Amino acid sequence: VSGLFGLLGQTSNTLAAQSYGLDVTGQNLANINTAGYSRRVVTFGAVPPADSSVSAGGGVEVLYVTAIRNAIYDRRLFQELPHSGRENAIVDALSVVEASLGTSGGSIDKSLANFFDAWATLADNPTSPVARATVLSQAQALATDFNNMAARLDTSAQDTDRQIRTSVDTINSLTTQIASINAKLASVSEGGKATLKDQQTELIKQLAGLATVQVVEQNDGTVQISMEKGQALVIGENAYALGITDEPLTGKALITSGGQDITSQITAGAIGGLLNVRDTLIPSYKTQLDELAYGIVTQVNTLHDAGYTLAGVDAPNFFTPLGAAAGAASLMSVNAAVAADTTLIAAAGVAASPGDNTTATSLAALRNALTMNGGKATFADSWGKLVSGVGQDSKTAQAELTSRTEVITQIDNLRDSVSGVNLDEETANMMKFQTGYEANARFFTTVNQLLDTLMGLGA
Amino acid sequence: MRVTFQSTFKNGLYYSNNAAAQVQKRSLEVGSGLKVTKASDNPTAMAAIINEKTQMANIDSYIKAADSVESRLSVVDSVLSDIINQITVAQTNGVAGRTTVLTATQRDALATAIEGSRDTMLSAIKTKFSDAYLFSGGQSLTAPYTDGTTYYGDANVASLTISDGRTVQTTFDGGAIIGDLFDTLTTLATAVRAGNLGTVDTALATLDAGFDRVQVAQTHVGVDLSRLEEDQSRLDSLRLASDKRRAFNEEANMAESISGLKQSEAAQDAALSMLSVAGRLKLLDYLK
Repeated sequence: VSGLFGLLGQTSNTLAAQSYGLDVTGQNLANINTAGYSRRVVTFGAVPPADSSVSAGGGVEVLYVTAIRNAIYDRRLFQELPHSGRENAIVDALSVVEASLGTSGGSIDKSLANFFDAWATLADNPTSPVARATVLSQAQALATDFNNMAARLDTSAQDTDRQIRTSVDTINSLTTQIASINAKLASVSEGGKATLKDQQTELIKQLAGLATVQVVEQNDGTVQISMEKGQALVIGENAYALGITDEPLTGKALITSGGQDITSQITAGAIGGLLNVRDTLIPSYKTQLDELAYGIVTQVNTLHDAGYTLAGVDAPNFFTPLGAAAGAASLMSVNAAVAADTTLIAAAGVAASPGDNTTATSLAALRNALTMNGGKATFADSWGKLVSGVGQDSKTAQAELTSRTEVITQIDNLRDSVSGVNLDEETANMMKFQTGYEANARFFTTVNQLLDTLMGLGA
Repeated sequence: MRVTFQSTFKNGLYYSNNAAAQVQKRSLEVGSGLKVTKASDNPTAMAAIINEKTQMANIDSYIKAADSVESRLSVVDSVLSDIINQITVAQTNGVAGRTTVLTATQRDALATAIEGSRDTMLSAIKTKFSDAYLFSGGQSLTAPYTDGTTYYGDANVASLTISDGRTVQTTFDGGAIIGDLFDTLTTLATAVRAGNLGTVDTALATLDAGFDRVQVAQTHVGVDLSRLEEDQSRLDSLRLASDKRRAFNEEANMAESISGLKQSEAAQDAALSMLSVAGRLKLLDYLK
């Protein structure tokens, strides 16, 4: 009788084990759409006989529940994500810059064409007040276009700077969360540890998308994280926040770690991409725009200054003179004296000869003059070079992003093939545990009936 | 390899998004007729498009200048024709007055006719185009003559560029063309009225030289006008060629774009179908 009673207890444990298997399956199914979740697998073990009697064994017990993951795939993701994050940030930022450049034939190239057309019209009618007014209005439109374009590039740089600041805040938030997980890992159960590891991996993935980080996993499951050049971000339960200081002259955000400026060391991740856009690409576009504006102002002023007003006297500068190319696009403007009196516009190249048009003709011919890039390019060529340069940078980043995204997708697929929840598999597991439960319940019933029979013998 | 619902779904979504991006790109091409709308579509093509549009604007400016020059030279040609006609009339009247058989009244009528020719020429030489005198050289705001003796213009004539390296004169040195014509006509009229045949002969000889001068000037204008047609034709050809190069770089090949649109729509359908099928084929469905 004691054997039958023992079987009842043993079967009760077995039912609990099958039930636990169902519980794990339910957990997997519940998290089928949870990002970063690693499927759990329950492992049963046969309980050996309690002594050397003829017992078949002690039934079954749950040995452990394993979260299935392959650290290689996670590490590869941590390595790839900074690159895709960088390219993604560049693509996003440059798409705004590209849009701000306007369409071909509808931007500064159009204003330049209108400006030189106006000079050609003035050459046709050197004394015409209408032609002079047209030159003035087209020059003002050209200057305004340069001013606006420079302002748009400045705004893009400022937007990028704001994104950098936000990204640094995000890094600090992520590292704080990771440090908190490190703290919890020491005190939770195995099941809780698996969940925390999943969360930890997801947070590190987000972190790697923002900057290149080095991740060292400790035996206890905690991680130490540092920046590419070794500045600590997370050690044990402590997070070391990155700081932001404003560059004194420009007000740009400088990223610091422990008080040290590490801005130039961050080359990858979204922050690396944003820094590249803010500190290299946009300034390079701005320089080209400034050089173009400076070239126009200088060349036009040189020719105009040598000409004569409608009254036949020496002409003033047409544009407000600029000291240097830096900032020229923002500062470009028509000389206030000329703007106030269009008779000061020089069409003539000969004194006291109002019908002469040599200066206007020379200025109209500037359109085709090789005045830029060391005498190798026209103004329009320079504009085309700037626009196509932005396009090339954007296209290169897009191509690189596509390539990196493919790699990440493949690694993600590999990771999913190991850690992801397979619905069919879980359904099969569900049936397996259900059937196991049903069979053991039947066994329990049989033992119970045997006990009933045994009890009935004495009645 | 284990295949999970998540990876199937993510891949399906990735392919579907790619296909949708292609559909959007092709739709934009078909809708706008352009295959390059921003620099990153094709940076090299964009530089070429900007270059061609600049060239076309340049050519348009030349075409406009050529049209203006043509109008202006047509007026100049007409004025010079008038002057030549008046010189011819004056010569005829001068020759008619070079005789002793005429009465004083007849001589006076001829002299008056010669003075009329002079006044007509004086009026013609003061012709304006776009509010500027054509025959005052650089002094286009000043009439070249007022009384027929003093030239108030200068020799600084203006030219317009109508294509690369080609300029055409648009204002004229009236003093050089007219010379002493007005004085000569006055002298001729006085001589005819007085019956001074010697002076009539001298004046007629001077008038011949003036006639030649004006005719030479008109010939130059005629040559420029005839060359203008060639210039305009060449500019039209250059513009067409430039526009063709722009279109090659910028405009979409409609057959290719529509075909591409259909292909990408089919790809998007396939990706969505795959997602749908992947969502349907589940073991759970077979256990009902």
